[in-house]
Order: sequence, then C-alpha cells, then structure tokens
Amino acid sequence: MLNLETSIQGNKSYNNLTISEVEPVIKINLRSKKREFSAKIGKILSIIPPVESNMSSINDNYSLLWLSPDEWLLYSNNKISNYEEQINLEDKLFNQISKLNQGAVTNVTDHLVMINLNGNKIYDLLSKGCPFNFNDFMSKKGSVAQTIVNHTDVILHNINEGNLNLFVRRSFSKHLWSWINDSARFI
Amino acid sequence: MFVINCPFCGERDQSEFSSGGEAHIIRPKQPTELSDDQWAEYLFMRKNIKGVQFERWNHAHGCRKWFNMIRDTSNDKIHAIYKMGEKPPIV
Repeated sequence: MLNLETSIQGNKSYNNLTISEVEPVIKINLRSKKREFSAKIGKILSIIPPVESNMSSINDNYSLLWLSPDEWLLYSNNKISNYEEQINLEDKLFNQISKLNQGAVTNVTDHLVMINLNGNKIYDLLSKGCPFNFNDFMSKKGSVAQTIVNHTDVILHNINEGNLNLFVRRSFSKHLWSWINDSARFI
Repeated sequence: MFVINCPFCGERDQSEFSSGGEAHIIRPKQPTELSDDQWAEYLFMRKNIKGVQFERWNHAHGCRKWFNMIRDTSNDKIHAIYKMGEKPPIV
C-alpha cells in the first residue's frame, strides 16, 4: 500500500521565493534498453521519452525526465484526484511493458517527495549547497539534473526560468526542507 | 577537487562521482583452478601507481553509470574518458 501522506506540512514564502510540497502526484520510474520502448510509451501516454541527456518531454498531463540512457522518471503535472487513477496508470504500464519484458515499471510515488521552488533567487539558494553549475541549466526550459544539494541526492526539473521541481527521497525530505528554509532566509 | 566530464551527463564536480579503482582487470576464466595466492592477486592486488593510470569511475549522484578514465594520479589531470566496453584511446 502506497503511503500518500504528506511528508512536509505547509508552504513557505520569502523575498522573491516560494517553496511548497506538491502532492499527491504520480511518480513512476521507467527502465528499458529495448528499441520498441519509446514507441510503446508514446502510445500509452502520448509522450516520447527524451533521448537527449539532461532533458525532459512534457505534455498536458505528464512530464518525462531523462535520468540515464536507459532510465526515465514519469510524473503527473497535476495533482491526482483519486487513488484509482494512479493504480490504473501503473497497471496499464506494467501490463504493457514489464509483463511483456519490454522494461521495468516501478511506482515511486511514495519514495520521492516533490518540492516546487518558485522565484528568481532559487538558483542562488541551491548554489549554497550544490556543486552543480546552473548557468546553462537555468535558461534551458525542461532541463533536468541529478546532483547533490546539502549532501542529499536530488533530481531537479527546470520547468522554466525561476520555476523548478525538486525530487528528494522521502526520508531526506524533512532535512532538506529545513535546510532550504534556513538558507532562504539569507539570500 | 576537479571536474569530470561524464560521458552521459556532461561536466560535473568530482563530489558527484565515486572511484571504482583500477580498470581492465580481467576475471580468471576458471577461478576454481587457481591457487589462493593467484586468486588473492586477482582480487586484492592493485598497481596504485604514481602517474598515468586506467581507472573505473561511477557517477554515483547522477546517472549512476560506470565509465573508464585515464588519469594522472600525481596531478589529477584527466587524459581521456571513455565508456565501458570501448577500447582505451591512445594518450
């Protein structure tokens, strides 16, 4: 049974910066090395997995992030209205990909916590505890980076400049949330 | 600290990577036929030279892929990076 309880309570606003947890959002990890995989995902979700590294594909309902040459993260752009919707999507992907040996489908909805950072100072904030160079990343719409923020593994999805979704493991989320809020007071 | 050009993700800071030690060590085809000394030689003994060395690295906090690197251990200068299974370039 998935744990869909929120990990972080509330949202915070600072000068030119808003931080909030977005939940519940469907998150599914996809892995495959098969050629037919892209076409199959395109047929099911109307979205093609990005081949270009550090990029994402977005349609009205879903975003698909490149994680490695054979791994992608799928998440819903909107909050899910009911639990069945999530299970149906997972079942659909599982039956048409995993069961047919086309790849692996793993539901990571309760494994990852999604935090939305909004404002023109978010890159300054992350740079305080992150070795990643944001110069090209920030202006590139849909760019993706996996890196470390304050010693914590994160996935960053740059929706557009000044609006970013950050994925962090649930067990680290409160710690990272505290760090983000603490750092936000000093920028 | 130095910057590593991951063959999949591009240039990243060294802190995102972990070293996997010496590269191109071939596993013996018949481990049962080896003596304890020969097995220990394969398993534990590494060159650890001062100078140009062939190494395996893993982008642990990024794409989690393994790749090979030719690095000078005396000054951390990276001569070449190439994917697993590829032939090492001549440097």
